[in-house]
Amino acid sequence: MNFKRDKKEEESGEASNPFGNLEKTTVLQEARAFNDSVINPRKCTMILSKVLYLLNQGEVFGTTEATETFFAITKLFQSKDPILRRMVYLGIKELSHIAEDVIIVTSSLTKDMTGKEDLYRGAAIRALCTITDASMLQALERYLKQAIVDKLPHVSSAALVRSYHLTSGSGELIKRWVSEVQEALNSDNVMVQYHALGVLYHIRKADRLAVTKLVSRLTKSHMKSPFAVSLLIRIAAKLVDEEEKPLDSPFFDFLESCLRHKSELVIFEAAHAIINLKNVTAREINPAVSVLQLFCSSPKPALRFAAVRTLNKVAISHPTSVTNCNVDLENLITDSNRSIATLAITTLLKTGAESSIDRLMKQIASFVSEISDEFKVVVVQAIKSLCLKFPRKHATLMSFLSALLRDEGGLDYKAAIADTIITIIEENPEAKETGLAHLSEFIEDCEHTVLAVRILNLLGKEGPKTKQPSKYIRYIYNRVILEQAPVRAAAVSALAQFAAHCPNLLPNILVLLMRCQMDSDDEVRDRATLYFQLLSSGDRALTNQFILNNLQQSVLALEKALGSYLQGPTDAPFDIKTVALASVTSDELKPTVATPGILKTKPAEPKKAPVKEVSFLDEVSNIPDLARLQLGGLFKTCTKQPLTESETEYVVTSTKHVFSQHLVLQFHVQNTLPDQLLENVKVQLDVPDGFRQVAVVAIPKLPYGTPANAYCVLAWPEDLEVASGATIGATLKFIVKDCDPDTGVPDSDEGYDDEYVLEDVDVNLSDHIFGVTRSNFAAAWEEITTEREETYALSNANTIPEAVKNIVDFLGLHPCDRSDRVPEGKSSHAVALAGVFRGGIEILARAKLVLSDGVNLQLTVRAQDELVAELITASVG
Amino acid sequence: MGIFDKLAGLLGLRRREVNVLVVGLDNSGKSTLLNHFKSEESKSSEIVPTIGFNVEKFQNKNVGFTAFDMSGQGRYRSLWEHYYRDCQGIIFVIDSSDKLRFVVAKDELDTLLQHPDIANRRIPVLFFANKMDVKEAMSAVKISAALGLDRISNKPWHICASNAITGEGLQEGVEWLTGQIWEYVDRRR
Repeated sequence: MNFKRDKKEEESGEASNPFGNLEKTTVLQEARAFNDSVINPRKCTMILSKVLYLLNQGEVFGTTEATETFFAITKLFQSKDPILRRMVYLGIKELSHIAEDVIIVTSSLTKDMTGKEDLYRGAAIRALCTITDASMLQALERYLKQAIVDKLPHVSSAALVRSYHLTSGSGELIKRWVSEVQEALNSDNVMVQYHALGVLYHIRKADRLAVTKLVSRLTKSHMKSPFAVSLLIRIAAKLVDEEEKPLDSPFFDFLESCLRHKSELVIFEAAHAIINLKNVTAREINPAVSVLQLFCSSPKPALRFAAVRTLNKVAISHPTSVTNCNVDLENLITDSNRSIATLAITTLLKTGAESSIDRLMKQIASFVSEISDEFKVVVVQAIKSLCLKFPRKHATLMSFLSALLRDEGGLDYKAAIADTIITIIEENPEAKETGLAHLSEFIEDCEHTVLAVRILNLLGKEGPKTKQPSKYIRYIYNRVILEQAPVRAAAVSALAQFAAHCPNLLPNILVLLMRCQMDSDDEVRDRATLYFQLLSSGDRALTNQFILNNLQQSVLALEKALGSYLQGPTDAPFDIKTVALASVTSDELKPTVATPGILKTKPAEPKKAPVKEVSFLDEVSNIPDLARLQLGGLFKTCTKQPLTESETEYVVTSTKHVFSQHLVLQFHVQNTLPDQLLENVKVQLDVPDGFRQVAVVAIPKLPYGTPANAYCVLAWPEDLEVASGATIGATLKFIVKDCDPDTGVPDSDEGYDDEYVLEDVDVNLSDHIFGVTRSNFAAAWEEITTEREETYALSNANTIPEAVKNIVDFLGLHPCDRSDRVPEGKSSHAVALAGVFRGGIEILARAKLVLSDGVNLQLTVRAQDELVAELITASVG
Repeated sequence: MGIFDKLAGLLGLRRREVNVLVVGLDNSGKSTLLNHFKSEESKSSEIVPTIGFNVEKFQNKNVGFTAFDMSGQGRYRSLWEHYYRDCQGIIFVIDSSDKLRFVVAKDELDTLLQHPDIANRRIPVLFFANKMDVKEAMSAVKISAALGLDRISNKPWHICASNAITGEGLQEGVEWLTGQIWEYVDRRR
């Protein structure tokens, strides 16, 4: 009855989803029907579907609710209806994580799994393994082993897949099932064979030798299942990658032979594997590429898609190999499947010559409105790499991008376009004016606040340096009138930048800022007032410091420092110099030469740097010996430096943390011997003259496998010259106790002293200097007057780019205004460098390089402290 | 009750479906007992300790029994209560040779009878003094004294000695239960 009524509602209602308006409480109420002494299978199936639907929609079930429902479901075992029974299995699996006492169904499921009803057996195995834990599993082991070798493929597969999942919790137990799994591997069924191989590999994964044996045995036997062969290819490819000489490996021959397999699946997998090997050359790739080329003209869309997607990837690393497929790719541009067409075009863009760009752009423009945002982003990224490759084509590409900007699209898509334009502006000075014009037109009609703010910021930075800064003012001021608060605030800041840069615009902008002071939003008003006061004061130094140069401190560290400042009641003003500076490493990582495509993968890791600094301060405050010292704000954390070979008994790396008065050496020690327990582990330093050791923090216990940190704290010497060049010898000292490798419990309480000599820790000039960016180098340069100048002949560099790199590395200063990029073929170059010395002393440097018989360097250093300037000039050379 | 139902009842064609709960300590013979009621081809040859519960169906006269065979192991006994509310009969199995654990059985029985889902309902309780063939087995009378069955006043109960392996005494007990269930069901109408 109920079912019928449901059906009627479905027909009459507008909602196409019969489960659309479910309420958890109503459904749980309905679920009471499971408790009836006579079960109506149809009705119960319906209710169970509703419960499952709710669970999968993310509805939260409380433990009591879930347990109650679960026990109600268990009562459905009395029904013999096969459909209902399968729903019961699903219900059990879904609820098993929330409900309590799910173990109750163990016997019932065991009965189904070993019973005569074949239909139930696979599903029962899956449900059973979800509800059991490691302790129960032993009792079920016998049944599961039988199921693995069952003659029914679906039962065997279910058991295999479940054992695969169980290996994470009870790996040791599963290892005992190897012989059954081996037997299943010889099965005739394609799926069983595949699953068996998966389990077998998973069991042996940790043992490289065993895996090698397994693969070499299987590569010789001809497995029937294409899925299993595909998996084997993946395993083999992994092995090949780990070898030193991959191309001599017998497994590589296997991969190649699979290119001639009769199954398309296997062929593709093999081609994909070969192409993705780490150190392949064009010669090895070519057969794989030609296979993919054949796939490009296959009638199956899936195959075409797979092929073109893989080719798209190779196009980055081996463009020449892919060029052979260009004819086939051209045909795919008109493919009815838009995804294939997009990939084909982007591949062509990567491989194509400069001459074909115009034509390809036209092609793309014809269908760009039809594809999804996600693929549009792919296209935009391809264009980005193209711009870097062919800077001369920027006009075509830029007009195409601006057309895209005007189209409809989501935030990701617009952000990708804006990103691309910004990159082009930064890379290519010729394109700057047009790019900025496009962007300022774009913000006229931009619904994404984030993007508008970014672009306004960029306009503020780049706009004043163009030939006609005044034309951007209109665009920016329009924002102040029309947009919402965050955008208005950004626009005000941008206006201030213009005013600070271009004195002739100052009076006009002051008028505009005055109007902004009437704004309804606090932030906007505050900014306008601040800038107005700064600008009308006419003090160059002030404007330079607060408008043109941005905040150098890392925002996270600043927030933390302010937080702790507010907690302690103190009359002393807050000293911003104690706050860790924002690291600029992420910026440096941008490849100096335009290498298209790799851009996406490179930055990521170093961006966490500021977070690391903050987390180290947290660490310090947790160690009483260090917290006692009142180290103050962290100035700089240098990169890790290994003090041992990577495969010795004890692996030690050191990190130098520089504070204004102290140097903290952090030793990350790892014990790689399972049969030893180390106690009282500390690092003894051979302290050089001038330095003073303040504290040593030892590691009380260092068991196998869990690394820990030891610390030494040194006070900096007064003499800067000593401080900026020292070598500190280090020895690891500890007490060794032999212990049981399995439990980690020492055999006896007696231990013996031992030591281990580490490599020296070097302290040099760059440790004291933190590179920062100056957006307006010239203004900052004028501010400082203390100057030292020196001329050197650099013996260790033969080209200018090499010399620039050496100087930047040695001094630890950060290049400004992109002056570290040396135009090709020039015989002289000037680099502007900026940084902060320990203790917050600003340093600026100009390095003029001239190529003549080696490289000559004229270094001019300006610093707030004379000694520092002298130190720097003295240490170069 | 409709006229057809009455007619069918008179002719003995009326069918009832009831749920009964089979409980008792571990190793008292619950699963073996139910195994006896199964048809020849579905009988299992070996009985293993039940984990959680099993559902079995059998038929006596015109009553279809759905028996929830609960696990008797200590840590699963707390799960019995989930099934109290919708059962129309209880079978409590006792190992007559296990004198040591009569106290435990009594304890479990008392907890069961005092449970809110059971206490106020007049549902029939059938006791099987199982394993009567074992030499040191106690008689049904002695067991009923040991468990204090005479104190049960608001429920019909019956105890009979049984041997679940041969099936001796089982039929008698189940017939009593069938009769009680008819009575119970009719009174409720």
